Amino acid sequence: MKIKKTTLYFLGILVIIVIAGYFMVGSSNVSVVNDKVINDNIAGNGQIQKVLISEKNYNYYPSEIKVKANQPVEITLDDKVVGCLRAFTIRDLGVSKYARTPDEKIIFTPNKKGTFTFSCSMGMGYGKIIVE
Amino acid sequence: MTFKEFTKSLSGGEAEGELIKTIFISLAVSVILLGILYFFKLKYVADFRPKYGFFLFLAMLGYSMIIPSVRYVRAYREFTCMSGMMIGMTIGMIAGFLPGYFIGATNGMFWGSMFGMVIGISLGIWNGRCCGVMGVMEGTMAGFMGGLMGAMTAVMMYNDNLRAAGVVVLAISAFILFGLNYMVYQETREAERKHNDGELFVIFWSFVLTVVTIIFMIYGPRSILFT
Repeated sequence: MKIKKTTLYFLGILVIIVIAGYFMVGSSNVSVVNDKVINDNIAGNGQIQKVLISEKNYNYYPSEIKVKANQPVEITLDDKVVGCLRAFTIRDLGVSKYARTPDEKIIFTPNKKGTFTFSCSMGMGYGKIIVE
Repeated sequence: MTFKEFTKSLSGGEAEGELIKTIFISLAVSVILLGILYFFKLKYVADFRPKYGFFLFLAMLGYSMIIPSVRYVRAYREFTCMSGMMIGMTIGMIAGFLPGYFIGATNGMFWGSMFGMVIGISLGIWNGRCCGVMGVMEGTMAGFMGGLMGAMTAVMMYNDNLRAAGVVVLAISAFILFGLNYMVYQETREAERKHNDGELFVIFWSFVLTVVTIIFMIYGPRSILFT
């Protein structure tokens, strides 16, 4: 049986893709998802709940924070947080602020309980805020 | 000039018959080059495979799809203004978007955009000039847009299935380039082949694009988020 040249080239392409793909993609197990760290350092009644957020793996760190409802929250984005991640939003709680420097705090009072997503204004970095 | 005839001509002896062969040669050159570089140098780069391997692999696949189309267009050289615009736009856009995306995923938005725009505009003008100033204009604009969009998409998807999106983007680009080749086939049925780039052309451009991408991705500058 005679095999066409084109068929051989096609098979060659497949073989290269499979071998190179196995070699190059096989160990690509670096995860960009952050460790879920619960920041449950909750202040007492009436006090401001201070939360410090940094950046790790191109995302907010910690990516999960826990706060109490009806008590003011002060979020500080440290100087590792750069670019559009500084435009911090919690859509469901009506929070949206561009904190140019760590001195500019994001202050709000969550008035409803639940789990809400926080993110940068473009949705590139994100995490969860649990209001209890 | 049906689609069936086109697929049949892929195994013929004319310019169309060189498409599959060109993909094979380009891919082989890139993989061999990467293998050699890996053996002597890149294996000492920290986290080379997890960090860069996947995107380099996709970039090599991307180049092995772009180069055959460039070679195919150059085989006929003369097209109508309308076809020239389409050629300049398609080559410019894909050649800008794919490198922009892959460099954007490892080096950040600014450097991804710069890299994508340089490759996209260069190839867009080179191919679009077959048909006058309109093709050149379209190649320039598409390369400019593609480079910016590729890098921007990669950075915005960083925490949202970046790798899966890369595969989808590559698959769609392959489909578009296949469509371009079919269009060129339809436009050139009555025309005679004007130019014949040898295998050296494919080897040279695969080599250059792969080396430039590897050097830029691993040793090149990066945006603040990626340092």
